[in-house]
Amino acid sequence: MTRVIRINGEPVEPAGDATIVETEPGVWSVLTGGMSCEARVEGDEIVIGEYRFRYEIDDPRQWKRSQGSGGAHGKISITAPMPGRIVRVLAAAGELVVAGQGIVVIEAMKMQNELKAPRDGRVTAIEVREDDRVNAGAILATIE
Amino acid sequence: MFPLFPSVLIANRGEIALRIIRTLREMGIRSVAVYSDADRAALHVRKADEAAHIGPAPSSESYLNIERILDAARHHKVTAIHPGYGFLSENARFAQACKDAGFIFIGPSPESIALMGSKTGARRVAKAGGAPIVPGTEEGLASSAEAAAFAREAGFPVMLKAVAGGGGKGMRRVDRESDLGSAFDSASSEAQRAFGDGRIYVEKLIENARHIEIQVLGDQHGNLVHLGERECSVQRRHQKVIEESPSPLVARMPGMRERMGEAALHAARAAGYFNAGTVEFLADNSGSFYFLEMNTRLQVEHPVTELVTGLDLVRLQIEIAAGARLPFTQEQIARRGAAIECRIYAEDPASNFFPSPGRIMQLAEPSGPGIRLDSGIYPGWTIPVDYDPMLAKLIAWSGTRDHAIDRMLRALGEYHIGGIKSNIPLFRTILNDSAFRAGDLDTGYLDRLLQNPATPSPPPPALAAIAALVASELNRKPAGATAGGFTSTSRWVAQGREDLLR
Repeated sequence: MTRVIRINGEPVEPAGDATIVETEPGVWSVLTGGMSCEARVEGDEIVIGEYRFRYEIDDPRQWKRSQGSGGAHGKISITAPMPGRIVRVLAAAGELVVAGQGIVVIEAMKMQNELKAPRDGRVTAIEVREDDRVNAGAILATIE
Repeated sequence: MFPLFPSVLIANRGEIALRIIRTLREMGIRSVAVYSDADRAALHVRKADEAAHIGPAPSSESYLNIERILDAARHHKVTAIHPGYGFLSENARFAQACKDAGFIFIGPSPESIALMGSKTGARRVAKAGGAPIVPGTEEGLASSAEAAAFAREAGFPVMLKAVAGGGGKGMRRVDRESDLGSAFDSASSEAQRAFGDGRIYVEKLIENARHIEIQVLGDQHGNLVHLGERECSVQRRHQKVIEESPSPLVARMPGMRERMGEAALHAARAAGYFNAGTVEFLADNSGSFYFLEMNTRLQVEHPVTELVTGLDLVRLQIEIAAGARLPFTQEQIARRGAAIECRIYAEDPASNFFPSPGRIMQLAEPSGPGIRLDSGIYPGWTIPVDYDPMLAKLIAWSGTRDHAIDRMLRALGEYHIGGIKSNIPLFRTILNDSAFRAGDLDTGYLDRLLQNPATPSPPPPALAAIAALVASELNRKPAGATAGGFTSTSRWVAQGREDLLR
């Protein structure tokens, strides 16, 4: 069994005939085929110049990276993309909504942002009230 | 030589506080920073000579709290207070309170702020001075019904604006009457939160206009000059994104700089203005322009003017506040080359520009010929969610606009802020856009550009192979050392480990 490295979901053979040095924490200098390149590691992404590469490694010797389970059959959660304060709730539980309809308005860093329904459906729950403070990732509403 | 101040308190935070600290240090003046609970570890606190805690994170209880700031000024025995931009910088009550408490306010008089800081008051002054103004109401409105009455007469679209406004807060474009009520309410509540004043007025929207502003500078002896224009037409949500000088339009219109400069000086003179200020205009491609408003403070984009004139506006502000005369006449002001500024925000252009607070895990900052970076961040710092998401301003200067744009693109390539999302990719898109390079701009330019995003070119396979190589190296490292950033890096990555895995 060998490792398979996936870049943006596709298996990719690592560059050969290369020298690689971690010059600063998370910053790698790569020399290959006469080219000098700097790569920066950010979470599950590798940034080279203006390109971002998501990487995964299928390694039989290690735990498989758990896949996100969001958006499973029928039910979709609207989560806070950042910590902030709820300034307005625009939909009620039980309401039928269409894709793109505003559900809640969150304020963070002095900006108000309307979070919209990702698709048509029925609001099954609104988890927040106006003036609530929420953390990034908090579930604000669910749509079925 | 006039007596300078032994010490100055900076009633602000972030990059502008640092910008002011740097000039104070050059002048041998002691700097006193203020900070909220959220900013104990902020860079401006680290770099100041002294620092005072002024309250909890919400700005209403700290950076907008006049009493707390004056207490800090008394405790640190400062002579003068610099308000920066935003927060209390255009608050006449604050300027007056500084004066009453015996501190010199580094800015215009409270009377000038009250007159020009109120957008409606400034319109009346400009109109009286004979400057063309955009049609609109002369006063704040009691209700959205009054806005509707104006809009029916003048025709949609209209622009709702905060009387106390600035920085795009409390502004809404309204295209039809049915949207007026909710737009009025949300603009008013946004203005209330941002400025402590929810009053709203309405203007006819001038479509396809360019935003061009004139920097003015006056001393307390009646001398007043202008330092030329900045064009700020690249905007999103009424927030400036890129500013530059010269304006591509003004540069090709003979005499336009002089005419706008004169109009700006008339408005400033009518307000008895001294210190640094900016008169904003809307202009069209025929060279006509309309007075928009006056900002009675240092602008975010002041470095653009500094680079093309060679002046230090903060130093001049301090000297003027200390009673000095302007050290030059209008004729002695020389302009050279072109400068352009990008406002670097913690927001994700790929995801509807959502704010992206969080911890800065990596930071590589650009430098080299013609590059200036006014920044307020450092690696390891967590960006608080309580304030504006502007992190830094990157400014490029060169002999021509084309070279300055190339230089900016080069600097953006050197700039990396890891751990959060920033709007750096947006600037690559704009600076490579042919309309931008041709100087073909108006305030709707950026919205149009974003509506038709170019399909991103697929990454070269060679780079994907390099990414795979890096991923493979990461996989060889012991678990827990792969995150990038602050984990300690072990260079003794076991050579044999890979063999075991193959």
